Amino acid sequence: MFEFVSEFLPWIIQGFTLTVEITLFGIFLGLGIGILLAIGDLYGGKLVKGFIAIYVEFFRGSPLFIQLFLAYYTVPALLHIPLDPYITAFLVFGLNSAGYQKGYIKGAMETIYEDQMAAGLSTGMSRAQTLRHVIIPQALRILIPSWTNEFCSLTKSSSVVAYVGLFDLVGAGREIIGITYDVLAVWLVIGAIYLAWITGFAKIMDIIYEKKKIPGVELLMQ
Amino acid sequence: MGKQEKEKNRTVKTMTDVVMEARNVYKTYGKLEAVKGVSLQIRKGDIKLIFGPSGSGKSTFLRCLAMLTMPDKGEVYLGEQCLTKPGVDLNKARARIGFVFQHIYLFRHLTALGNVELALREVLKLSKQEARERALAALKEVKVADCINRYPAQMSGGQAQRVGIARAIARNPDIILLDEPTSALDPELTGEVIDSLRDLAKEGTTMLIVSHEMPFAREVAEEMIFYDEGAIVETGIPSHFFNSPNSDRAKKFMNRIINRTTRE
Amino acid sequence: MDVWQELIFLLGGVPLTLSISIIAFLVGIIIGLPLAFIRVYETEISFIVDAYEKIFRGIPEIVLMLMFFFGLGLYFPFPFNNAFFVAAFVLGLRSGANQSQIYRGAIRGVGDEQMVAGQSVGFSKWRAIWHIMFPQVLTFSTPGLGSEYALLIKDSSYVWVIGGLAEIMTRSVWLKNVPPYDVITPYVFAAILYIALTFPLAFWLDKWGNRRKKKIGL
Repeated sequence: MFEFVSEFLPWIIQGFTLTVEITLFGIFLGLGIGILLAIGDLYGGKLVKGFIAIYVEFFRGSPLFIQLFLAYYTVPALLHIPLDPYITAFLVFGLNSAGYQKGYIKGAMETIYEDQMAAGLSTGMSRAQTLRHVIIPQALRILIPSWTNEFCSLTKSSSVVAYVGLFDLVGAGREIIGITYDVLAVWLVIGAIYLAWITGFAKIMDIIYEKKKIPGVELLMQ
Repeated sequence: MGKQEKEKNRTVKTMTDVVMEARNVYKTYGKLEAVKGVSLQIRKGDIKLIFGPSGSGKSTFLRCLAMLTMPDKGEVYLGEQCLTKPGVDLNKARARIGFVFQHIYLFRHLTALGNVELALREVLKLSKQEARERALAALKEVKVADCINRYPAQMSGGQAQRVGIARAIARNPDIILLDEPTSALDPELTGEVIDSLRDLAKEGTTMLIVSHEMPFAREVAEEMIFYDEGAIVETGIPSHFFNSPNSDRAKKFMNRIINRTTRE
Repeated sequence: MDVWQELIFLLGGVPLTLSISIIAFLVGIIIGLPLAFIRVYETEISFIVDAYEKIFRGIPEIVLMLMFFFGLGLYFPFPFNNAFFVAAFVLGLRSGANQSQIYRGAIRGVGDEQMVAGQSVGFSKWRAIWHIMFPQVLTFSTPGLGSEYALLIKDSSYVWVIGGLAEIMTRSVWLKNVPPYDVITPYVFAAILYIALTFPLAFWLDKWGNRRKKKIGL
């Protein structure tokens, strides 16, 4: 039943690679933008906060499918320029993830920033030194579970790009089915690959989290 | 006895003995005028205590002195250097000031040793070896040597606050500012912190403390400053306040405090 | 078709979108609650819960839907040939996994003391769970459940990949493919529609949950 695996392995690998790329790109872009959003929400004026609220509500309140189709069909129609399919996908996932990460990051900042920054400054360290030696080490530890969650979520939702013509893992599955018609077997294998990847990654993050855990810091998380 | 001796032996202090000075400092938070034109001089070896009703702005004033909060108006001097001028390297200035927080604010991700070492390495640029030695010495001084490898979450409040004091004194700062160091602690734990402060006082450390620990004030402080509604209302030696304060507000406050203390 | 007709057409998809999400949510409760309590209070068999959660949080919903509808649908046309069933079923299973986590967190949040207190007045373990933990857990988990429900409303859009169900997403794609081949309004309206469905719910559930928490002193 599963003979197709060896025959179509290159496709499977290619699809898997794109899935991983989209996920990683999405998370890192989401991190960068998320930090900006979090800072803006903490220290910005009413206008900035309003914009951020709309941004977050849009990306968290509508399905990723719709966001993707908006980027692929609506935006080019409005702007009258063609968009590169890959870059568009990366951007959409990055912007989407930022909407969620902003919440995590803001939460972490609110918990530790003010008092730890005051403490750091009081010892004569500069803002930058305090950020580097005090704030970020704690923030990273607090945020690991949220990021693990975000990673799993993003990997699963990356499957929608198959429907705008990109060759990710689901896309590979569809192509293979188009040839072998072996629907159940193919999806079982594809599903198993996702499962192994996500579970494995989560396990690694758990181990990292356990090793880096510091008593008292993880109690800060809800 | 020791204090009276000190008062007798005190030589006339000169201007260069002024460690820190606030001149007409103002600070408002929204609607609250926490600091209204407050001026204060602290000379080398002084042990002054600011007390008063909560919410009067004492902590804010202390933070303005330490330049952890920027004053709206007025000047703050560290020695001869004016800190409120633009272009001043505040980090260097703050390195010469030791600050102890009411809520302790230890670096949660570092052990007690790590907490004290961090600034020694990063600010004073000491070698790892030197930083460690000085950190250990400071921790020994406040008698928390048994906690050096523990994380803040694993210590009692009293131990943590003493580590906070060690963190403040390890740099050998010109002055130590303490913002209600015992207020957030359980009553049984305040004793150990007060003992450390007493030791510091004996060694001639320049200290400005915001506190309402009256027994400690009576014993250690050389001058007490009554602070209410954003301004210094009255100053004097402790016996002055405990026997016959001048202002009505100070009288009322002392009555309340003394009644509370004697009831315990 | 003009813009307003498109909007009305999209609105026609709301009942199906809501039905899928509601049913999936209920399935999620039926699965999630027992799983959560088992995980906390019966540790010998809790590995079953772990496995279940891992599976449904580790496989994309799209893959599951495709697998069930086009795969199992070949061998078991009933019920897997029915798009509504497959969508609600898959999302329900996934939601069960998510809700199991939510309730678990709530159980921990309520605290062990409540259980101990319950047993000290004579309740057996499971009676204490039913009478003491259960009501408090419901209150505590309200905010998390709010976002889970919002997630279900959004994920109902996945049913488009198996086709045949005229909910919001399917309708918006349909509008793109028929004259006047409008690619702007269907998706913009659809986005607004989904946001209108998810936002108030999450907002009010959050508020209600936090208020009740304060009232009962959590």
